[in-house]
Amino acid sequence: MDLHLLPALHPVTAEIALQSVHVVKPEPAVTVEHLVKRYGALAAVDDVSFSIREGEVFGIIGPNGAGKTTTVECISGLRVPDSGLVRVYGLSPQNDRDRIREFVGVQLQESTLPPRLKVGEAVRLFGSFYLDPLDPSELLETLGLDRLANSVFKSLSGGQRQRLSIALALVGNPRIAILDELTTGLDPEARRETWAFIARMRDRGVTVVLVTHFMDEAETLCDRLALINHGRVVALDTPEAIAAQAGGSKVRFIPSQPVDDETLCGIPGVNEIERKERYVTITGTGDLAGSLINALAAIGVRMSDVEARRGNLEDAFIKLTSQDRSSAQDRVRT
Amino acid sequence: MTSSDPAGARGQRSRHQFIELLKVQTKLALREPYGALMGIAFPAILLAVFGFIGHENPGNVGDTGLTIVDLWIPTILVIAIIAISISLPNTLVRDREIGWLRRVSTTPLHPSRLLAAQLISDLVIAAVAVLIVMFGGALVFGASLHVQILPFGVSLLLSIAEIFALGLVLVALTPSQTIASAVAGMLFFVLMFLSGLWVQPAQVGEPLRTIMYYSPSGAATRALLDSTFSGSPSYPALVTMAIYTLIFGFVATRYFRWE
Repeated sequence: MDLHLLPALHPVTAEIALQSVHVVKPEPAVTVEHLVKRYGALAAVDDVSFSIREGEVFGIIGPNGAGKTTTVECISGLRVPDSGLVRVYGLSPQNDRDRIREFVGVQLQESTLPPRLKVGEAVRLFGSFYLDPLDPSELLETLGLDRLANSVFKSLSGGQRQRLSIALALVGNPRIAILDELTTGLDPEARRETWAFIARMRDRGVTVVLVTHFMDEAETLCDRLALINHGRVVALDTPEAIAAQAGGSKVRFIPSQPVDDETLCGIPGVNEIERKERYVTITGTGDLAGSLINALAAIGVRMSDVEARRGNLEDAFIKLTSQDRSSAQDRVRT
Repeated sequence: MTSSDPAGARGQRSRHQFIELLKVQTKLALREPYGALMGIAFPAILLAVFGFIGHENPGNVGDTGLTIVDLWIPTILVIAIIAISISLPNTLVRDREIGWLRRVSTTPLHPSRLLAAQLISDLVIAAVAVLIVMFGGALVFGASLHVQILPFGVSLLLSIAEIFALGLVLVALTPSQTIASAVAGMLFFVLMFLSGLWVQPAQVGEPLRTIMYYSPSGAATRALLDSTFSGSPSYPALVTMAIYTLIFGFVATRYFRWE
């Protein structure tokens, strides 16, 4: 039973439905199960499963050609999966495409407008496609496009085009916004502004699906992430958890007297040791710096020039995708 | 979805959509006047050229009892329609190539409405072209038109339907704007020849005359000529056009791609 759509369309039926169902489990906004999409012999998406909760910002990250765009295109109904199941509020993007298009706003990666269409005309036109659109002039103002309302598309800069593309995705007041390569081509200031805008959308309760290859963007904006590589989900968790999973903490220091590898390896959390001139660099997990300082102080070694860096998403990304690559190569060899 | 009457709201929205779309389409057509320039300027020039030729060579052409301007006006009308139709890929293939049609397909607007708006704006251009050629021919060059409204209207509408459908076939089958332009250029000359621009079907021998009569543009010229001067429409020409319209319409819709 489609509980999310019912209150809006048939209040009475929805009430009855709610009374008869005692425990209402929040239904995911988007469900993807065992999704497979092939182009010829190549499986662009190979058994991808995840679900997106209502109101969260869900990031899909991964290297170029990992299958990110194909995955979201299956959600928005632009592509038909070869197998697997995709549901958007319980609806099928293929069979119920007309209904889904009403409340899913899409930003496409490589799509431009007719060169002489003006910014204001485009936003008003798209607004007219929907039943309950946002006010076009307010939206233009929020995205800093109000001064460009009378500019034709071909005269816009890359960043302005990108913001217009976001405006077109949002003017229909969607419940789900699918944004593909949101900030590619934007300057740092415009990126920050766009991020702030996405955060405001989330606060209004819009579910956002964000495809990106910028790790800082994923870390800042996303509640949860799916890391996709070679068409498979490699990690599915919060950005913090994925960063921790890769265990990329690093501590670099100069010991007051030489310490051998054996001693260092005995310290909890230490995984790798690197030496360069007088510097020792330790990679490991947990509170690495803390345990190093304590353990070395106990044997009378002082650390100087200490530089500690916590593992971030980028480290995790590189680690997880390269692991995957080497295991893929192994599969090829055997 | 906030409306208490979704069906009524949808109907209202549907009209609102289409009006907005037509407004935008008209503005774009004025900013990118491929169709308007080709469809209006070109026949106007042709009319002037044949007007002056007729002025230099007054009187009958062959034994038809018609002047040169009389005889060529239907051809010029058909060429105006061809010129507009041939410029369809300039917008539609381009819009597909840049991902605009695909973008629109993710909204509740059905892309077929985009197509309909494009065709309506081209239909308006065609109507303007027809008026200029008819009235220009009669008022400026003294063409003696005895138009019979019903047969002429039917012939004109079928000509537009058939030749626009041919333009949509071009849109459906050409992968890029560059290829579309090349094919459109060649097709334009073939269709102009068959419509009798260089030599009228009445002036040539068999089998060329039959080929011209039963070609898409030749049939249009013949139907218009007959309904303008002989008073009774040429049924074979009308049937020929109807068949072409069906075939072109089928191919254009069967192979049309939004992306």
